[in-house]
Amino acid sequence: MTLMPAKIYRPVAVLCVLLAACGPTKPPPMGLEDASARLQAARDAGASTYAPLEVRSAEERLSAARAAAGKGDYDVAIQFAQESRANSDLAQAKSRLGKAREKVEARTRENAQLREDLGGNADAGAPGP
Amino acid sequence: MKLRIGLFLLFTAACSFAIAAKADLDYARLRASLNDLAADPVLGQLAPAERALADQSVQALIDSSGKERAHLLYLAERRVDIAYATAQAIDQERRLDKLDREHDQILLAASRRDAEQARLEAEKQRIQSLAQAEEAERLRAEADAARAQGEQNAQDAENARREAAQTKRLADAQAKEAALSRKEAQLLAEAAAADGRAAPAAARDTTAPARMTIEDAAFSPGLPTLRADARANIARVVAFVNKQPSKPVRIEGYSDKGGSTADSRALSQKRAEAVRDALIAAGVEARRITAVGLGEAQPVAANTSEAGRAKNRRVEVVLENR
Repeated sequence: MTLMPAKIYRPVAVLCVLLAACGPTKPPPMGLEDASARLQAARDAGASTYAPLEVRSAEERLSAARAAAGKGDYDVAIQFAQESRANSDLAQAKSRLGKAREKVEARTRENAQLREDLGGNADAGAPGP
Repeated sequence: MKLRIGLFLLFTAACSFAIAAKADLDYARLRASLNDLAADPVLGQLAPAERALADQSVQALIDSSGKERAHLLYLAERRVDIAYATAQAIDQERRLDKLDREHDQILLAASRRDAEQARLEAEKQRIQSLAQAEEAERLRAEADAARAQGEQNAQDAENARREAAQTKRLADAQAKEAALSRKEAQLLAEAAAADGRAAPAAARDTTAPARMTIEDAAFSPGLPTLRADARANIARVVAFVNKQPSKPVRIEGYSDKGGSTADSRALSQKRAEAVRDALIAAGVEARRITAVGLGEAQPVAANTSEAGRAKNRRVEVVLENR
């Protein structure tokens, strides 16, 4: 086997480095997909009804994040994505709270009606705090 | 020149101080909010993960500045809100669980009450059925008793009817016997009158005191009064006592051994007096006559039969010898 001379190695290495530097650069992870998924989860949880302001903020910030990413302003995109995700999380938490409150009110009325229908002498105690 | 530089530095320091002060205020506000949440007796024990995230977000404000700070403050405020909302949601969900248990307890209590009512109703029905059965048994026993009483009454009625028939046959026989006796006495009296002799069959004048018997049939049944047809024949007795007008007349009344001794004696006394009165009315001297009731004494027949008792119920007219 015959070894290639060193003067041939060097230009090849430089060419490889130049080709690598001139290729398309992959953008850093900005959490856009995660922010989008959380927004969808909030909508699925009924956030459009229970937390419409937070949903709108999440949508606006997700759009801003995508726009910033399109411009290559990745740091800004990351921040908007994080803020969108925080709004989606808040919207989902408020939806959970709103649903629970509605169920508590409905069940309280139902128990009171049941006691009244049964003559009010059932053994169950009064509803707790 | 130095003055301008000095003023610029002073302005820069003031702005930095103001920003730092603002940052401290935001941090303090969020930190206080988190502390309130942690101190809440109910919510403080809930949503620990969300509170930890919020705590980290607030803590990140300390070393932040510039645009990054505004971003971190935005995140921190939402993380604190998320911690509150999550804790409240968990609290509501726990209340809902409690209400669900209450709901089940109400239904269970209602079910138990219904079961108890059903049991009481069944017991009531059982008692009513028992009472109805007892009432039916009582009515049946009463019906049996009434039927038995009816049968007894029918038997008694039949016995009474038979006894009445027997009594009627006996009375007829006695009446027939009395009629025959009267007819016989009348024939004897007529024969004696025709022959001019005084010796009726029923009044024999011997050494023993002469006696003439007036039978029970001459009286009304159970009474001391003479029957009308017997009064018509009292002339035979008058003839008997007047045959020997010097002798005193003793009228003896007798009865059977039926009722009490006092009643029997009283009836025999009254019958003797009735005969005495009839003789006096017919012209016999009253001072010759004595009437006495001897009751059940000196029976002429056994008292075991009706015929024997009829014979014992009599009045005897005795011509005493002295």
